[in-house]
Amino acid sequence: MSAQKGAYTPSLEKFLDTLKSRPVQASVELLVSLLKRRQIKGSEACATATAHILLQVVARDKWTNVDQLLGRIQLIGKKLVAAQPHELATGNIVRRVLGLIRDEASEDRNDTATNSSRPASPIPAPSHASSPTKPVRPPALATIGSFARTQSMFNLLSDPNVFPPTGSNASTPGQVSGASTPILSIQATNVSALRSEVIDGIQEIMDEIKSVDEQVQTYADIFIHPGDYILVYQPSRTVQKFLARAASRRKFTVFLVVDPSSAADSDSHYASLFKSMSSSGSNVITILNSGLMAYMSRVDKVILGARAITAQGGVVVDAGAAAIARAARERRRTVIVLGGVYKLSSESKLLPESQIEWGDPSKHVNFADGALVSHVKVKNAVSEFLPADHVDTYITNLGAHAQENLHTIVADHYKEEDIKFELYGKAQR
Amino acid sequence: MARRLPITQTDKDVHPTVLALGQKMAIFGIDESIARLEATLLAFKKVIESYTTPPGNTLARHLTPHVLNPQIEYLSACRPMCFSMGNAIRWLKLQVSKIDPDVPDFEAKKLLCASIDAFIQERIEVADVVITEKAADCIHDKMTVLVYGRNSLVEAALLLAHSMGKKFNIIIIDDPSDLKGQGLATKLIEKGIRVTYSGDFGALQSHVELADIIFFGAEGMFSNGALYGRAGTCDVAIAAKDHGKRVYTLCETINITDRVSTDSLTYNEIHPDYCSGKSFRLLYDTTPSDYLSIVVTEISSAQPTSVSYLLRKLEDSN
Repeated sequence: MSAQKGAYTPSLEKFLDTLKSRPVQASVELLVSLLKRRQIKGSEACATATAHILLQVVARDKWTNVDQLLGRIQLIGKKLVAAQPHELATGNIVRRVLGLIRDEASEDRNDTATNSSRPASPIPAPSHASSPTKPVRPPALATIGSFARTQSMFNLLSDPNVFPPTGSNASTPGQVSGASTPILSIQATNVSALRSEVIDGIQEIMDEIKSVDEQVQTYADIFIHPGDYILVYQPSRTVQKFLARAASRRKFTVFLVVDPSSAADSDSHYASLFKSMSSSGSNVITILNSGLMAYMSRVDKVILGARAITAQGGVVVDAGAAAIARAARERRRTVIVLGGVYKLSSESKLLPESQIEWGDPSKHVNFADGALVSHVKVKNAVSEFLPADHVDTYITNLGAHAQENLHTIVADHYKEEDIKFELYGKAQR
Repeated sequence: MARRLPITQTDKDVHPTVLALGQKMAIFGIDESIARLEATLLAFKKVIESYTTPPGNTLARHLTPHVLNPQIEYLSACRPMCFSMGNAIRWLKLQVSKIDPDVPDFEAKKLLCASIDAFIQERIEVADVVITEKAADCIHDKMTVLVYGRNSLVEAALLLAHSMGKKFNIIIIDDPSDLKGQGLATKLIEKGIRVTYSGDFGALQSHVELADIIFFGAEGMFSNGALYGRAGTCDVAIAAKDHGKRVYTLCETINITDRVSTDSLTYNEIHPDYCSGKSFRLLYDTTPSDYLSIVVTEISSAQPTSVSYLLRKLEDSN
């Protein structure tokens, strides 16, 4: 959309195109200002931008040990989050990358630990051989170095013989205990291996973000039945593809609710949806109301796209969607929320003031209307929070989940210590 | 649905005043139920004034089928009649039928016009004054009143409360498809009332949370206590119930119908500009009585379910 406005309008694409030609620090600053000006907005764009910038940091910044890298990522993460505090996806990606680094580093550390333990003491005490945060490895197994090493890709790729542990370094790893974030020092030679591991991991996250729509839509025909009346509100691409996929198998009717101020260009905006729906014989009816209770008696299911999902099941949605979900609840209609796992945040609940993002008030009140502009407090919400009890099912790229399952998914994707890390600290107070 | 009937295609018996009124209603130049009712009655007065009973007929037998009915048909073709118009027309027909055949034409017409005037005064003008006063009494100092869209009764009540020296805040939630609330906002800030405005239903719950009471204007009331109001009223009412806020509905008794509706689709209107197989917009919705606290009419301020009792009382008095 912004690309059509003019060649000079900044956008995610342009930012990504020029990423490699700019120093890392300059890219970070640029991204922060783009986020602040909402020139990059929407959870997918923010998540992609964050993943790319962190990739640059890992790949091009100078760091000699894991702590340094973690600290750097945390610092940049805080800056990015503060630039657009309502966009939880940014923080999610930061935490995912932090977790990724910890994973790779700890595998690497175990590896160095086994290597170093051999010359130091043939049968080391378990507490010395491995970090206290990790399960204790049986000493017998640890001594068989090659056996233990097969556990990770990193160990397969980097031949330990190339980097023999030096005596001075050998004593330090694994013996530090007690700290929640153990100080890890690895050989400088291992940095490049770790670097490439983390880069691979970040690229996997990027691929995951890209493939969300495809994976989510595979559940479409389970949830949409022939003859259903489905209500969607300003459907995101994920929701549109979900409907299109279902339409290829079944005939149903979609009530498309659009914002009246953008109704004029809704035809072009949702052209692909109209096309794929009508080609398979399903109907799309545009509803130009904003209060939807009147229609609920005719609606079977409401499908909403999430901007973010909290661990407790609350959802950040486009402004106006909460009223629709509320109306659906009143009539006991099913409310389904779609969104990639990268939108699932470890934040369990949001502070009240961060639940609603207020935006450009000129949407409904013309700036030329002097009397209103100067005397009326005009409020225009951009996004709002939908409590968990208004949602029935969440569909992510991993499948359909009940509210109670979200915790497990959070635990699978984020590390305890990163969840505790206050990314939102200053921004939310 | 309003049909935009061209003047050239209308019945030859339609009176010019009614002709103009119908066109005005069709383009929503006159929109509110009570305004349409008043304009209709005044137009019918003109029709009666210019009527002479043909020889060999009596007024009581001739006026309704041959003169009034074409007007009514035309008006409802331009835009479906609202409940108040239906009620008033039934009343008018009754008055016509009650005219004694022996009374001379001139006097009969005078009698009818006088009763129309009395009806307008009693059921519309005085009713509005009483309701406005009652509603203004419900507003206290430092209150925040939330309103939805623009309604003349609600507007009058707010202005009256302000002129009584009460200091309060207004939150206006608007329907983004017509933005009539902006007109109300302009009116209120001229008087120095503090106004917060939201152009759509974004963050509706948070707006309602800030309010102390909520005022709705009614397009009609069903006899089961359900409110027939501007589309979106029900959503606001649900939010109000979630937060335990009192919801006042302002409604003249003439708007009460003996019909019953439990959903929003039994009685409704589609906006003529937005109506096709592909897209449409409903003008009204039905808010069940559970979401309303008090209905303020010129007779009483009571629970919405008491509406059917009011209706019976009014029938007795006629």
